[in-house]
Formats: sequence, C-alpha cells, structure tokens
Amino acid sequence: MLQKAIQVQSLQKCFGEFMAVKKVDFEVQQGEIFSLLGPNGAGKSTTISMLSCLLKPSGGDACVMGHSVIREPQAVKAAIGIVPQDIALYGDLSARENLSFWGRMYGLRGNALSARVDEVLEIIGLTDRQKDSVDKFSGGMKRRVNIGAALMHKPDVIIMDEPTVGIDPQSRRHILDNIKVLNSQGMTVLYTTHYMEEAQELSSHIAIMDQGKIIACGTHTDLVRMVGELDRIHLTINDESAKIMADWQTTPGVHRVSAEDGHLTILAEDSNSILPHLFEAASRAKVRITSVDIQEPNLEAVFLHLTGKALRD
Amino acid sequence: MRIMDVAFKDLKRVFRSPFALIMMFGAPLLLAGLLYFAFGGLARGGGSFNLARTRVVIANLDETNSVTGSFKAGEMLITFLQDEGLVDLVEITMAPDETSARSAVDQQQADVALIIPSNFTRAALTPEQEASVLLYQDPTLTIGPGIVKDLVNHFMDGFSGAKISARVTNAAIQKNGATADPSLAEWAAGQYAAYLESSSHAAALHVVSPSGESVQGVSSLAMIEPIMAGMLVFFVFFMGANGAESIIHEDEEGTLARLFTTPASALMILAGKFLGVFVTLVIQAAVLLAASSLIFHIAWGKPLPVSLAILGLIVAATGFGVMLMSMIKSTRQTGPILGGVLTITGMLGGLMTNGIPNIPEVMDKVALTMPQGWALQALKLSLAGGSAQAVILSTLVLVALGILFFVIGLTLFRRRFIS
Repeated sequence: MLQKAIQVQSLQKCFGEFMAVKKVDFEVQQGEIFSLLGPNGAGKSTTISMLSCLLKPSGGDACVMGHSVIREPQAVKAAIGIVPQDIALYGDLSARENLSFWGRMYGLRGNALSARVDEVLEIIGLTDRQKDSVDKFSGGMKRRVNIGAALMHKPDVIIMDEPTVGIDPQSRRHILDNIKVLNSQGMTVLYTTHYMEEAQELSSHIAIMDQGKIIACGTHTDLVRMVGELDRIHLTINDESAKIMADWQTTPGVHRVSAEDGHLTILAEDSNSILPHLFEAASRAKVRITSVDIQEPNLEAVFLHLTGKALRD
Repeated sequence: MRIMDVAFKDLKRVFRSPFALIMMFGAPLLLAGLLYFAFGGLARGGGSFNLARTRVVIANLDETNSVTGSFKAGEMLITFLQDEGLVDLVEITMAPDETSARSAVDQQQADVALIIPSNFTRAALTPEQEASVLLYQDPTLTIGPGIVKDLVNHFMDGFSGAKISARVTNAAIQKNGATADPSLAEWAAGQYAAYLESSSHAAALHVVSPSGESVQGVSSLAMIEPIMAGMLVFFVFFMGANGAESIIHEDEEGTLARLFTTPASALMILAGKFLGVFVTLVIQAAVLLAASSLIFHIAWGKPLPVSLAILGLIVAATGFGVMLMSMIKSTRQTGPILGGVLTITGMLGGLMTNGIPNIPEVMDKVALTMPQGWALQALKLSLAGGSAQAVILSTLVLVALGILFFVIGLTLFRRRFIS
C-alpha cells in the first residue's frame, strides 16, 4: 500500500476577516505527481505556503512525510524542496554558487555538495553556463536554476508553485520533462498551475481549487466524468438539410445533433469511431463537410461546469 | 555553520557590488582627500608641507671676541634655521656679504635675505645692547617671509632669557654691595646662551605628531585626522545600514522567504545576515585605517585604543543599521533613511563640523547624544595618543548602544518575519 506523502486535513488560513483557504482536505501518495489547479487567487499559493511552513495555518493541519507542519516544521522543511512562483535566486551569484549556497542551507558540505551541484547542473541542463551569473540568464534558464535549488538535498517531496509562468515554450517543455524524470526516480511532486494542459499532462491526481476551496479532486478521468463523457464534434457543411441531420441523429453512438447557421454540433460517445459514419452519410447525401473540430471532455469544461466561469477568467 | 554560510554569501555579494565598494572605501577616502587637498596640505599634521620652500640667503657678519668666547650667536641662528625639522620650510644658502645677499633677493634668486650684523653675538650677551638681525624680503611674497620672520623671532626670544639672566646677575651683585663687573654679567648671559645651545630648544619648533607622547588633548590634532575620522564614522554607519538593507532586498527578491523554507531557523538566518554586516564593517574599517595611514600618513594611535574605538564603532553601526532597516517596509524607503537619518544624526554627532576650530562647546555635548558622536570621540582620543583607559568609556557606551539598537531591530524583524 502506498504511503501518504502529504495529508491535508481541514486546513484553513485567514488574513483578518478574509479566509484565503477554507478547510481544505486532500492527500498525495508517495511517488505521484499531484496538481493543484485553479485560477489566480484560488488559494493555491497560500496552501503551499502552509505546507512549506512559511505560514502558520489558522486551522486544521497538514502532514508531510508524516511530520506535522505545526508541530514539526523543521522535519517538514528537511523533507521538502520548494520551487517558488517567482525566481528566488541571487542574481549576482553564478548558477553554481546559487546551487552551492542552497545546498549548504540543507546541510550539504564538501565533496558531497560539489558532486550534487554537478548532478543538479546536469539535470537542469546548465553545466556549460554554471559560472555565469544568474542575472545574465534568460527567464527560462532562471526558472531551471530555481528548480535546481530545490533539488539540491534530494527531497522526498518537491513543491512547485507555478514554475512555468512567463517562460518560452522550449524552457517550459524542458521543465515539464524534468518533472517527469524526477517523478520516475521516485520523487513526489505537488504542482500548482493554472494551465489545464500541464495538470492534465503531468498529474495522476488533480485537485481543482477556487475561492479557497477544493471543488473537485480525483484523476483526470474521474474529473471529466463529472461533466459527462461525450465528445463534442463541431462540423461545418455546405448544405444544412434536414435529411443529413436525421441520418446523423440515427447513427449509433450519437446522442444529439443541433444546427445553427451552417454549423452543426454533435454530442457523441466516441468521436473517433463515429466520424467515418458521419462522412459516409454526408457522401451519400452529397453534402460536403468543410471543417471538423473535435472537443474531448477536459478540465476546462469541468471547471466551467463546477463554477460557471472559465478557468482563466 | 549555516550562520556562517549566510554571512559568507552576503560578504561575497557586497564585495562584488561596485556601489558598495565605492561607498565603503572610495567615498570616504575621496572626500577626505578632497578636503585635504582643498586645504593645501596644511590640513596634515606631520610630514612635509606642500608650500614651496622659502629660499633664504644668509650673510653672517657676526664677529666674536675674548668676551664672547666660543659662543657664536650668528652660527647658532644659522644652525637653528638649518634644523632638519625645518627642511621642508626653508632652503638656506650663504652669501659672503650683505650686498650679495640683497642682490640675490633683488634678482629673485632668493625670497628672503637674512643679514646677521657683526655685533650680533656681543649685543646678544650685553644687557644694554639690542641684538637684531636684518630681514630683506621679496615684497611680492608674504607667506614664506612671514614664516622666516616667525622662526627668527622665536630664536631671538631665546636671547631675551640671556639678557634677563645678565640683568639678574647685575642686580644681585649690586644688592650685595659689590661693584658690578660687566664681564660677569656677560658671563652669566653667556652661560644662559650656552645652555640654550646645548639644550634641545630647537625641538620646540618641531611639528610633533598629534599621536606623539608630548602632545596632550585632541585640540592639537591636524585637520586631516579628524576629517578622516568623521568620514570613517559616517561611512561605517552608512555601510551598517546598507548591509542591513540586504534583509529588505532579500524579502523583496523572494530569497528570504525561500531561506525560511530551509531547515535553518529564522533566528539563524537573521544572525547570519547580521554577522555579514559586522564582518563587512570590520573589513571596511581596517582598509580605511590602513589606506588613510598610507595616503594621508595618519597615525591612528596605539593598537589597543584604536582597536577599542573601532570595535565600539562597528558594534554601534551594525546595531544602528539593523534598527533603522527594521523600521522600513521596502527598499524604496531606504533612500530617505540612508540619506536623511544618517546625515542628520551624523551632523548632530559632529561628523560634518569635525576639524573646524572653535566650535561652540554645546555642540560637543549635543554630539554625545548620538552614537556617531561617541564613535568620533573614541577615534579622536585614540588619534591624540590616548590610552586604552581613555577610550574605554566611549567603547562601552558604543557597545551598549549597539546592543540596544540590535535588540530593538531584532525584535521588529522577528515580529515581521517569524510569525
């Protein structure tokens, strides 16, 4: 049975009258990537700040690798590596000096420190630039060093707070691939993002947060099931005849067909198996399909379904 | 160990910052140097002056006889002017006669001609006669001839003593009902003159280093020394606040929050940062002391008193900086804090008026209401050659103030960062 890396119970945080996190519960198993997905201001960073012992909870508790953030903050700090949302590095120091310093703060010394710096530089792909000051780096390279600093002490759990915000696609890809590699080596990852695609790509479990609450939690499949499992097929045709619509409506697997200004929307169970039948029927009716767009159920739809607003509103 | 790691990291950052280096070392030396050169080198106490040497041509016509014996006042005057302590002031050449000496001045080959008359020694030894020399100077010059005149006057004052001793001898003889023998009075004057010649009277004109044993009190310090002491105090306090500002910088850069997520305790992190400030100030003070000694030839005093003064200065500056920075919220506020508070407290502490003569006594009292005033006092006492006992009170006050400031600052920082 998998052990729990993080266990959050009724965790809450108030700033005066404002309750930023409202009795949040979730669990992260060891060795998994768990995403906290939600718009800005949802309470993700506040939750992470409590898990990393930067903020004291106003209520509830959280345990990281079995240690309470309230009673054993030092043990929690030793077990986690934090990747802050903003770059938190010394710009006037080199990449190597930064990594070395953060390693020292976790108790690494001497040859072990030097060897680990080399390893981490390799992981983040900056061995060639290790002597350059961080100020000279691009945003993406800084993000990589930012992650590297959290890896220095080989933490059991790495907590990443939106580590891909504002960077180029290439660096983003590099970071996401690195996270997968680290996870494959057994590291537990708690990842916050407001990018649905990242949560979907990386995570085995996802918790969707909004207004300080977790409004849904589960695997990607569990979550999309909440809004149904039907694909949406959007078609544009040159002749919106009643005949073709009736044909498509009777195709097995099609639940509903609706039309508006030459654009048809078909709700179907499995778009891949149905599409050939739709094209065949169109060919028979001499109707030309000019465009096809398929939308599988996604987290955006889940968020929309649960909150009535888009994820990035 | 983590305290050292934080401190070492901060030191590395400080010593890589051109701004910090300029403010630590460049600005105090530059400002002191500008003031030094503005005062044309007269600001300096020991060593040579930057004034051109005054060229003095001497015609020694002095004659001696059996009465004067081996005593030669003219030669004594020449020897006095050729004293090695006056080498930087006057350049002596000899002329065979008065005409040649005057001619040298007229042709601007010399600035002053000094004519020693033929009866100079005898007149110096005879109570009724007036010993005089003739100074002939280039009328376009003032400072050089003035210096020569003062030197000669100083020498001539010595002969007043000889005359007085001759008169006293005469009076004593007459009081006892004996007949005064003029040769006896001259003998007495000669004895006095011989005493003057054999004694180290010339040393009275030596410019003694303010840290020298013979100089008492701080009033005799040359101008450059208190100025440099003021600069040292001001910029050490500045760097104390500037170093403590790194906490605010790190808070804004996010690295402070990241540090708090490491197993190092918040107290350990703050202690490391304060240690960094302290060591920075130690290095700054050591470099400034050494550099000012080399550049301005300032003798800061004996090792123990100057070490005590510097220790007090650094403890107070560190504590003051930590307290100031604990009261501000962002680096945008540091400009007014550094520029305003440090300048005002520095002014009240006497750093800006330091070295100016005849400052009202009340200003000295006001200065001691500020830590800078105590630091300056400690340094001035050390500069004046004061002992460790003389400096210890200022040091204790500075250390006590530093600890008080530090505790206030630490309390405010703890409230802010360790919630």
